[in-house]
Amino acid sequence: MVSYLIKRIGLGAVIVVIAVSMLYGMIHMVPGDPLSVMLGPRATPEMKQELNIRLGLDKPFVVQLFRYFTSAMKGDLGSDVISRRAVTTIVFEQLPYTFTLILTGIGWAVLLGVPLGCYSAINRNSVFDKIAGIFSVGTIAIPSFVVAVYSLLIFSVTLGWLPAIGAGDDGDFISQFTHILMPALAIGLGWVGYLARLVRASMLEVLGENHIRTMRAFGLSDRLVIFKYALRLAILPTIALLGVGIGFLLSASVFTEIVFARPGIGKLIFESVIQRNYPVVMGCVLITTVIFVISTTLSDILTVILDPRIRENL
Amino acid sequence: MSDQGKSKNSPVFTRRKFLKTSSASAAALMAFCALPGVSWSVENNILKVRTPFDIATFDPAFGSGPIELMVGSCIFNNLITLEKEKSWVWKLEAAESMKQLDPKRIEFRLMRGIMFTNGYGEMTAEDVKYSFHRIIDPKMKNPYAGDWAMLDHVEVKSKYVGIIHLKQAFAPLWNIGLPGPTGLIYSKKAMETVDGKMTVDPLACSGPYELKEWKPKQVIALKKNKLWKGDKAQFDEIQLFPIASDSTAQAAFESGDIDFTVISASAYQSYGNKAPKNARLLQYDSLFYSWLGINMENPMLTDIRVRKAIQMAVDVNAVVEAAYFGLTKPATGAIPPGLIGHRGKSIIPPEGDIAGAKALLAEAGYPNGIELHLACLNNPGVVAQAQVIQAFLGMAGIRILIDQLDPGTFWVLGSDASLGEKANDVQLYLQRFSTFPDPSFAMQWFTSDQVGVWNWERHRSAEFDKLNKQASEETDPAKRDKMYKRMQDIMELSGCYQFLAYEPIFALCRNTLDPQMRPDGYPAVRYFQKT
Repeated sequence: MVSYLIKRIGLGAVIVVIAVSMLYGMIHMVPGDPLSVMLGPRATPEMKQELNIRLGLDKPFVVQLFRYFTSAMKGDLGSDVISRRAVTTIVFEQLPYTFTLILTGIGWAVLLGVPLGCYSAINRNSVFDKIAGIFSVGTIAIPSFVVAVYSLLIFSVTLGWLPAIGAGDDGDFISQFTHILMPALAIGLGWVGYLARLVRASMLEVLGENHIRTMRAFGLSDRLVIFKYALRLAILPTIALLGVGIGFLLSASVFTEIVFARPGIGKLIFESVIQRNYPVVMGCVLITTVIFVISTTLSDILTVILDPRIRENL
Repeated sequence: MSDQGKSKNSPVFTRRKFLKTSSASAAALMAFCALPGVSWSVENNILKVRTPFDIATFDPAFGSGPIELMVGSCIFNNLITLEKEKSWVWKLEAAESMKQLDPKRIEFRLMRGIMFTNGYGEMTAEDVKYSFHRIIDPKMKNPYAGDWAMLDHVEVKSKYVGIIHLKQAFAPLWNIGLPGPTGLIYSKKAMETVDGKMTVDPLACSGPYELKEWKPKQVIALKKNKLWKGDKAQFDEIQLFPIASDSTAQAAFESGDIDFTVISASAYQSYGNKAPKNARLLQYDSLFYSWLGINMENPMLTDIRVRKAIQMAVDVNAVVEAAYFGLTKPATGAIPPGLIGHRGKSIIPPEGDIAGAKALLAEAGYPNGIELHLACLNNPGVVAQAQVIQAFLGMAGIRILIDQLDPGTFWVLGSDASLGEKANDVQLYLQRFSTFPDPSFAMQWFTSDQVGVWNWERHRSAEFDKLNKQASEETDPAKRDKMYKRMQDIMELSGCYQFLAYEPIFALCRNTLDPQMRPDGYPAVRYFQKT
């Protein structure tokens, strides 16, 4: 198990390096002069040259990348071109909002989707199962930004029930809760359907296994069979999916944060790319890649813990 | 049908329970929302305004974007500011009096008792000197030093009195430098504590408001400055929300989250005459102007007949109708109405002349037409203009391919420094600028030394350059007017420019507010009043 963990972490580090290097290259391939965009329309050639040197953009690509990684290892992700604030500060200011959004979105999706999938599996081919199926496919098909826009129009503009913008006041749970409802709905709704379908399919497969039949034959209650034995196996693909899902939700958060004018890393990346604010873009890319790798690693480890078959094969 | 999974002892989780629980939760939330005192729009004396993006820095010398000026003008002071009567005129702000002693000297006398917060004392002429010298200090490498290029030095005569010495007469100083972002005055003592570098902390405020808090990407909150003795601040607090999306800003306004927002022409049009409840729709003239630029050094466009054919083929009235729903008039030049130098009409009639354009094109050796690229920003209003232009040029045999570009790519299209020789690849492009209320600011970007910088048309004219220099030194408004009109004639006759529109600003505003706008079309929140 320990050697698996070490291998997994090592692999994660390699993935981060490769992904960040590729993204670094792609960002620099985007047309447009970052110096002009960063400094504004009235920057003189001398100022651009000074910034060019300060950011190390005059160096070969490989040298730039090497310097970036060595600084990043020391915790220095550079500084914002205009405000001169540390990129680390800027990114970590925004990260909690995105985390909250993602965890809330996926949290309510799990709370609704998993029971929905379980119940559909248990009551296979019933009316409820059919309706749940239509609902699930429907929610998967609707893009999150469409849900965002419509929920804004319905709940904020028309009904006036919920605030339209922002993340709420610091320290005020009710304010933050009401501000997160619609964004979480937008990013979580598709996952409800997705999880429901996945759990249903897994449950059906597990409920057909011999050992489940055997437990029933021995007279164990349905509740015990389903929740202690079947669900534990059926949930494994879901856990693996959730690890990857967090990464997808980081990108889904871009639209949601723009529509609801919420702070967050998605919007930060989007604005920084437009502004060609390289230091901030790279800082965001690095941190989100690390988060993605951590979440998939954790879900893999959790799967190993929950499934003894995998543990034995390590 | 299989009974798999069903038994007498059903699981706790049932459909009925699920529906019950979720209905109860929804009802509780609705009841909570209906409770008195729970409101999504704050009822205190707080002004909430949308900004299109967040502030980058609080340093007036380096933050000359619209948001930086919006905030800076609330927390700092200029000697003078601008207000709109029939045209833009200046009025006193921190200065008790301003006197042009001669063409090269301006005397200012500060109001007494303007205090800086955080114990940095009273504003004096030394602060004015420090603030203005900092702009032109070569060590600061300030991109906006050009606003004060004619400043020689500031002489401090007494605690409140000083003289601004210019290298030569410079009329635009009254409309650009003094009332603009680079004319904001800050505390010398405070700046010296940070080695002259202000970034995200304004250190010492002197205006009617001071910074309460800045939550990046969320809100800039300003609170009433108790030390301010000037015109009473109307609000206890001003909150500025950076909202990039126009649609979100509209929704935020309609849901009561904000009190004022600029909106797009299409949004304004969609309301018709029916503003949201307790609000009204506003339309302001701004100093934005747009044009179709034609690069005369591109191999396809060196022949002036081709360029004139392009000018003639464009029906500017149709472009204005498409992009602005007829809510503004065609532009007659680069200087908007209300400013010295504004032309009453353009040389080429705005309705266009397709037959004339075809004839010119044939004469130039393109009887079967020509194919060109038109670059524009990927903004719906701009793209609409591009499509109308594409249609009309198409009728004249000029086939247009529209290249929609994101800002990072667009804003360096014609820049030699960024693209080298490839900068000459740009053929046609749609551009819009704003200006300060002085024609020199509008015209300076079209001079010969701006070729490959902002003069993407690469139009060079010795007469234009000479007039530009003379007009900025001339103090007689009538003479300046004549010079700037002639300069626009030169631009149009070169075949490199087809002026399109003077862009109005549209806004949504609560009925309880009387907003004021700046020349660049952004709200001057400092001067918002309650009705």
